[in-house]
Amino acid sequence: MRRSLLLSTLIYGLLLGGLIALRGEFIALALPFALYLFYGFYSAPQTLNISIERKLSHERAAPDAEVTMTLIIQNHGDALEELYLEDQLAEKITARPNSTRRLIRLPKNSSYAWSYTLFAPRGTYNFDAISAEARDPFGLMRRSASFSAPAQLFIFPDLRRLKTAAIHPRKTRVYAGQIAARAGGSGTEFFGVREYQPGDSPRAVNWRASARHAEALYANEFQQDRVADVGVVLDARDLTNLFQGKHSIFEHSVTAAAALSDVLLAQGNRVGLLVYGSYLSWTLPGYGKIQREKIMRGLAKAATGSSSVFAGLEHLSSRMFPPQSQIILVSPLAHSDLDAIIQLRAKGYQILTLSPNPIQFELGYLPNSPEIQLAARIIRLERDLLIKRLERAGVQVIEWDVSQKFDQAVGPLLKRSRPQGFAYRSQT
Amino acid sequence: MTDIALFISVILSAGSLAWGYAQAGWETSAGWILFIGAVWLISIWQEWRWFSSVALLASVLCSAFGLVLGFEFSWLLAGSLFALCAWDLTDFRRRLRLSAKDEDSYGLERRHLARLSLLTLAGLLLVSLALYTQVQFTFEWGVFLVAVTLIGLTQVTGWFRKQDR
Repeated sequence: MRRSLLLSTLIYGLLLGGLIALRGEFIALALPFALYLFYGFYSAPQTLNISIERKLSHERAAPDAEVTMTLIIQNHGDALEELYLEDQLAEKITARPNSTRRLIRLPKNSSYAWSYTLFAPRGTYNFDAISAEARDPFGLMRRSASFSAPAQLFIFPDLRRLKTAAIHPRKTRVYAGQIAARAGGSGTEFFGVREYQPGDSPRAVNWRASARHAEALYANEFQQDRVADVGVVLDARDLTNLFQGKHSIFEHSVTAAAALSDVLLAQGNRVGLLVYGSYLSWTLPGYGKIQREKIMRGLAKAATGSSSVFAGLEHLSSRMFPPQSQIILVSPLAHSDLDAIIQLRAKGYQILTLSPNPIQFELGYLPNSPEIQLAARIIRLERDLLIKRLERAGVQVIEWDVSQKFDQAVGPLLKRSRPQGFAYRSQT
Repeated sequence: MTDIALFISVILSAGSLAWGYAQAGWETSAGWILFIGAVWLISIWQEWRWFSSVALLASVLCSAFGLVLGFEFSWLLAGSLFALCAWDLTDFRRRLRLSAKDEDSYGLERRHLARLSLLTLAGLLLVSLALYTQVQFTFEWGVFLVAVTLIGLTQVTGWFRKQDR
């Protein structure tokens, strides 16, 4: 019940009582209440002429990093004795101090800066309206309004930096880079031996081969290092990421996708990101720091979802990626994905599957009973079989035990080139 | 500062009403009034925000009932007046918690208490003046009050209708 209504009811009740009883004392008793109410009406704020500006200490931050939000409130009208401000925050955001409500006194033509600290998990957060309510000194009359003060905060994934990621796409681009291009030229990796040609460096002469053939000199040839097209596919389906309906391995997949995109872009490659969940979220391929920013924003927004259309990986169309390019699939893998991955491989793509181990992950949430251990063993056998089939199809698989940090567990495995169809499990 | 003023207001409100009732020989009712006062104090500690409105209503009803029975007016008036102060301070105390640490909370409290004290004093003066002049309750006064009451009731009904919509 509103305070002014309660007071009005009391006053009129007393007046009515005075009329019924024909006693002046009732009216005398109502007088202080009437005076109180009158003062409230008299000093009620007439207008709420304020402007609010919002500033963030960082527009991009790491998960759970401290971000300071500052709101600058400027009063262009009369003095406001009690001004309540409330900032609407997304549920996931934690604010310090706990409350994002504030009572301030704002004299005429003055301003006030209100700061608080935010902590948020990975995501994209849009801040907009701030509700303001001015009251009279007794809190009887209110004048409220909502003021728009937009701002956007990106909380990027937890980025684990890798030194290098050795990939071997069948086709590379023309620009010089760090990926072995399967073509002879100047580089660091040995490619073959050919007849010495004028202009070749004398240091390139292969003396052992030349000694065997008296008629000609032979020179070592190295693989050209070029940049490549890389498509990072992040599996965001509920089917593969959610366990017991609440525990999600997806954050680990996002960490892996972020680290891989970062290192591949740093190597000069053209990288695109596809988030495959309830819909397809596609960050078009590109180079450099701007592309890194775009991918990080794409990963900040990424969330798991389910849809009957994208339940399987068959919608991973080959038209999305340049022919014979490198595809990196970050997925815990489901048995139904096998055919789709093999089909992609058959179309000439070089596929590297980075799979956060869902069995180890889920076991962490389950009691250690013999039945569960037996079930885990059976599932592990099924998963091993799935990985073996992928290997046989020429898909490189790296299994990551998520109890270890990504850079420590997977980083060393990505340093050196591996034969096609090679599977590796990070050690626990 | 507000807490002390609030506790004093509750004690004075319940004490005045109870004393007024006890003087007229209604000791049991006085005991119940003191009990409600004690519950009011507990409600402040327990953060039962709704109780202050109930307690204010109860205090005014007790005062009105005392008036009907012809008890001493000054005790009844004091009971209602301090109940009003306590009701106001309960809400102010809640609002004050939202104030910023860098905000001048002491200044806010001081200004509010000064305003409330002056208003209480003005109310008392007005009542004293009304009692001193002893305006006779004539037919014209009655018509005027009926008109005021009707306007007020229309406003309240209109407000309720607006709320329903």
